Amino acid sequence: MLTIEQIMALLIFVVMFVLIISDKIERQYVTLGAAVLTIVFTFGICMKSPKAIFRALNIQHFNEVSFWISKEGAEATTTGINWETIIFIAGMMIMVEGMGKAGFFKWLCMKIAKLVNYKPIPLLVSFMIMSFCLAMFIDSITVILFLAAVTVELAQLLKLDPIPMILSEIFCANLGGSATMCGDPPNIIIGTSLHYSFKDFIQNTGIIAIISLAVIVIYFLMVYRKELIQEKVTDEDIKAMPEPYEVIHSTKEFVISSAIFFLAVVLLVTHERTGLTVGFIGIIIALLTLVTSGKNAVELVKEVDYKTLVFFMGLFVVVSGLEETGVLKLLAQHIEKLSGGNVIIMVAIIIWVSGIASAVVDNIPFAATMIPVISSLSATSGVDLSILAWALALGTDVGGSATPIGASANVVGTSVAIKNGYIITWGKYCKTSIPATIIVMVISMLMIIVRYCL
Amino acid sequence: MKKQLIIAIAREYGSGGHEIGKILAEKFGIAFYDRNILDHMFEGEDKTQEIMKQYEEKPFNPFLSRRVRGHTNSLEENLALMQFNFIKKKAKSGESFVIIGRCAESVLAHYKNAVKIYIRGNQKSKVYRVMKIYGLDEKEANNKIKRHDQSRARYHNKYSVEKWGDAKGYDICVNSSCLGIEKTADLLEDYVNMRKEIME
Repeated sequence: MLTIEQIMALLIFVVMFVLIISDKIERQYVTLGAAVLTIVFTFGICMKSPKAIFRALNIQHFNEVSFWISKEGAEATTTGINWETIIFIAGMMIMVEGMGKAGFFKWLCMKIAKLVNYKPIPLLVSFMIMSFCLAMFIDSITVILFLAAVTVELAQLLKLDPIPMILSEIFCANLGGSATMCGDPPNIIIGTSLHYSFKDFIQNTGIIAIISLAVIVIYFLMVYRKELIQEKVTDEDIKAMPEPYEVIHSTKEFVISSAIFFLAVVLLVTHERTGLTVGFIGIIIALLTLVTSGKNAVELVKEVDYKTLVFFMGLFVVVSGLEETGVLKLLAQHIEKLSGGNVIIMVAIIIWVSGIASAVVDNIPFAATMIPVISSLSATSGVDLSILAWALALGTDVGGSATPIGASANVVGTSVAIKNGYIITWGKYCKTSIPATIIVMVISMLMIIVRYCL
Repeated sequence: MKKQLIIAIAREYGSGGHEIGKILAEKFGIAFYDRNILDHMFEGEDKTQEIMKQYEEKPFNPFLSRRVRGHTNSLEENLALMQFNFIKKKAKSGESFVIIGRCAESVLAHYKNAVKIYIRGNQKSKVYRVMKIYGLDEKEANNKIKRHDQSRARYHNKYSVEKWGDAKGYDICVNSSCLGIEKTADLLEDYVNMRKEIME
């Protein structure tokens, strides 16, 4: 039997989820409103616990050394607003905005297209790999925004169909995001909440993602072989293509933004050795971008997607309501009961439930909700938390690729295509992406089971 | 120089608003845009036109679409926004035209040379008209009218400040069942001519 505070927390969460899906009110207002209700009703009126409110807001975290420097063996904390995630995402947004303004992404696309001589098959493969690699470090929305736009431009100039390329780029962006701690928002939340490093992700989800990429490249080549063979690019088309350097707006800005990006990659790859948290890295990168951008700094700050940051803040408070009231513990107990304590069944449940749920609802709230669940599951069943964390990361990241609404990159990619007159219906999207998602989910599940559970 | 004239017609299903629009376009010798707007938007792309017809002037399904940083995967919404841009572009070019539905009265709300009309009808006459045109029985016709009007209202209200069919959003609202299609068109012609006299 649920207690009154559990019913309240659950009710707020369910209404919030339904409102996010229905898209009637902007999602940041929904989570913010739900957060206020959680603080007032769940923590205030039902629990009468000011401490729970403080834990949910988590302001004291800024004052703790662990916000700036990660300590080995630090206790996994999941309660409240995950400021590290928010600050890191904000920092990366500023850096990426600077890179975009300097023309970095467009230059990279044009350069790679030129390197493969604009031939359809090498173009598809190279753009898939590029999408994967960029999404390992940069949010997949930005990757797809630029990649899809350049793909449409290239397709128009070379008279190709851009839809196979856009769909494969979207899939690879989501897959690349699953490879690292800073790729996809669910991974950032998992990494910062459970104190896993960039190296931990690369050695676990990263290896699975790279193997899956190889399989998926072959899959997309097979699926689109007819279209790719029919497409011919003439010498005249190639001659008409602009030179990559032409898309660089300012050489100085281009060099600076590339250097900052390189530094960000180095800091992230080495953050376990240096001890810097991703939140701190986000601050360093944002400050460097702002200082070096001079007059454009104000504009860069204005361009930050504050709506997403507010959405995250509200979401974390609502999830902490479920956590504080013990609802997520109950869910963990159910999963344990269902699996009979068998780790293989637990992995299968987490990966497939996360995958299917992420295919139909936003994977960020889902991952945020599941983190306390797997923590509790690990504590009660004795299963290594990291195994469940990798299953959750891969399930949410990869499952999101299945439908046009599963992940943010899918929405942005299909939107860019449609706005340019290339129609991607649900049927067209799912026809190739659902089988691809199932392939990667099976690979992920088998690799996790073989590597950690047998 | 000839004054620009835009006639934006919103209509209830079965009220004959589409036909009245056609008559007005002929009377004033101006272009007529309805579903053919897709032919202009996707010129030479027959397949795209065919697909887009299924998503045109339709409300989006909130459970099948999502919005991210101003982008949406909804074909209905993307198409609606593309059509609004097309309508604005046509209006800006100085072209005179009649446009049926597509939130045109809302999209062109600030155009002084746009006459915004709402055409409704009595249920009985609408049912009779729909039965005659589509060869349906009374129940089927009633259902068809209800379904289309609900869809139009949801589509319109998503993108417009004023509600579909609310007199506040239009310059003139008329019941086509009172005078019939031809005479309603004559009445509206007189009204438009009077408006033209005071247009800049």
